[in-house]
Amino acid sequence: MKYIFILKAVFHSIKHRKFSVLLSIFAISVAFAFLAAIGCVSFGLAATAVNSSLTFPLVVGPAGASDTTLVMSTLFNIDKPFGTLDYETAEKLAKDERVAAVFPIARSDSYMGIPITGVESTYISEISNGFEAIESGLKEDDIFGENGRNCVVIGSKTAARYEMKTSDTFFGSHGSVGDEDARLHDFEYRVCAILKAVNGPEDFAIFTSLSNVWKIHEHGHHHHENGEETEHTEGKITAVLVKTKNPVFTAALEREYSENGITSAADTAKTVRKLLTYMNKAEKAAGFFSYGTLFLVLTMVFVTILSSINERKREMALMRTLGIGRAPVSLMIFLESFFISAAGIVAGITLGHSLLVVFKPWIDFELGINLEPFFFTEVEIRGIFWTLAAGTALSFAAMGKIYRMNLVEETAKE
Amino acid sequence: MAFGKVSVKNLTKSFGGADGKKTVIFENVTFDLPEGAVLRLTGASGCGKSTFMNVMSGLIKPDSGSVFYGNTDISSLSESEKDRFRAENIGYIFQTFNLLSPFSVIENVFAPLAFAGKLTKDYKEKALESLKKVEMGDFAAKMPYHLSVGQKQRVAIARVLFADPKIILADEPTASLDRASSELVKTTLLELNKSGKTLVLTSHDPIFDDVKPDIEFNLETGKIS
Repeated sequence: MKYIFILKAVFHSIKHRKFSVLLSIFAISVAFAFLAAIGCVSFGLAATAVNSSLTFPLVVGPAGASDTTLVMSTLFNIDKPFGTLDYETAEKLAKDERVAAVFPIARSDSYMGIPITGVESTYISEISNGFEAIESGLKEDDIFGENGRNCVVIGSKTAARYEMKTSDTFFGSHGSVGDEDARLHDFEYRVCAILKAVNGPEDFAIFTSLSNVWKIHEHGHHHHENGEETEHTEGKITAVLVKTKNPVFTAALEREYSENGITSAADTAKTVRKLLTYMNKAEKAAGFFSYGTLFLVLTMVFVTILSSINERKREMALMRTLGIGRAPVSLMIFLESFFISAAGIVAGITLGHSLLVVFKPWIDFELGINLEPFFFTEVEIRGIFWTLAAGTALSFAAMGKIYRMNLVEETAKE
Repeated sequence: MAFGKVSVKNLTKSFGGADGKKTVIFENVTFDLPEGAVLRLTGASGCGKSTFMNVMSGLIKPDSGSVFYGNTDISSLSESEKDRFRAENIGYIFQTFNLLSPFSVIENVFAPLAFAGKLTKDYKEKALESLKKVEMGDFAAKMPYHLSVGQKQRVAIARVLFADPKIILADEPTASLDRASSELVKTTLLELNKSGKTLVLTSHDPIFDDVKPDIEFNLETGKIS
């Protein structure tokens, strides 16, 4: 009965100050949601990056391309590719005994902002997890074979987003991805197959054959946006993704292909590590702001509770007069303060993960990462712990203040 | 044990002002109040009548001296023992601000004993009975903000009836009430006193002029008669 009364008093007080309580809960939840969101996004990005680096340990591109440009433009489809290189580079790499497999790629066109990447059938076999749908007559292991003229293979999420099915056709745009001035080609692509989800950037991609890319450009529809715009005439590619036989060969090949003056090369794992270091720094900075905000909000909650103690001194003095002990009265203050912190955390977790669910398609599509909206990252778990700890400490401080106070004497003095 | 007998011995209380000077509220007060007696505290507003009551009930520590209930020195009790003692043995009625806003009327009646863990099985029936005695039975489920000052005062009296304390401290109990409510409060307090409760009363209301106290203590002059 005693505890029911205490809870009643706590909820009455919360109801009485609902505006400031809601504001406090909202402020904590926003800071917390931010923490949850950055944790989840950076974890998703890191997981995707690490997976990709395991598949293709080396990327070789034209001379002058930076490590990050090479990796971002080929594995994540985020950055614009940097110039072209000869197909012979891929052939030369294929003959190298340190190399297990090579996958030349050529990027130039796009459809609805998604780059259309020219690849060979072996690349599709390498990255695919099977097909959701495939046109009859096509070989799964040689999708761009004889019957694969004008064919594109699309990722499962591209198909879902644009409601595409096999045998659908579309025209690509020549120019940078997302470029409003991009012109439509008269080259008609046909959806030949839809890949099963692989939970990577490939789910949001469109692949065609290298010969299709070259064919389009033979027709003379060259549109030069700037000096960096790629131009794919026969035998030109954007980059070569390389599988090496072991990491020592990766390091050696990276050195050789970076120093020959014709090409540049990026060790994917090393580049991803570098990117992850930047990401960690960004995550830490964002986390610092989130923690800072949380600290300010909790201080605000504390100050609000203290001022509410002053407002309710008479009522609490009456409680004491009626024989209601110091412990229950101070427990009420503790629970009020703790409720606000805990409700803020719960609201923040709900808000953060709900926002991730809502923005998942956009994040997936724009960043090429497969987000797990309900995954609890270390940053978030640490956030829950620290917010609860700080909230509890402040609640104890407020409780201690009321416990030490002789409410009746204080009221009598007033 | 005769908790209703109150012995005040050499009681002194002062407050420090903002200027650092001490204001003596009362000094070396000594008297014995037998069980079932009436003590009337008099003096102008602000002279310390409420403070004297709070010192008597152990809510405010005196600078020196003691208050005995029977053989129990209230200042010798721990805080939680004092709380339980107050909840079980002392009934308070104030001029205003008698009820706890988070609780309904009936909850206000049994809240002190609920916190003290002293509720009997039939506490709800008894609480309702107490409310009916002060004509507040129909308001049991209402919240305090629905009530007038007079109705709140009646609920405070119902709380005293429910707790059945040995001592009643009534601090200007009729000051904000109309004639009818004042009469009801006075009658109930005197009935409780007749039934053996010790009554400590402060009031400027002439309605209490015909009540003959056993002891009168004027806090302005310090005179006890």
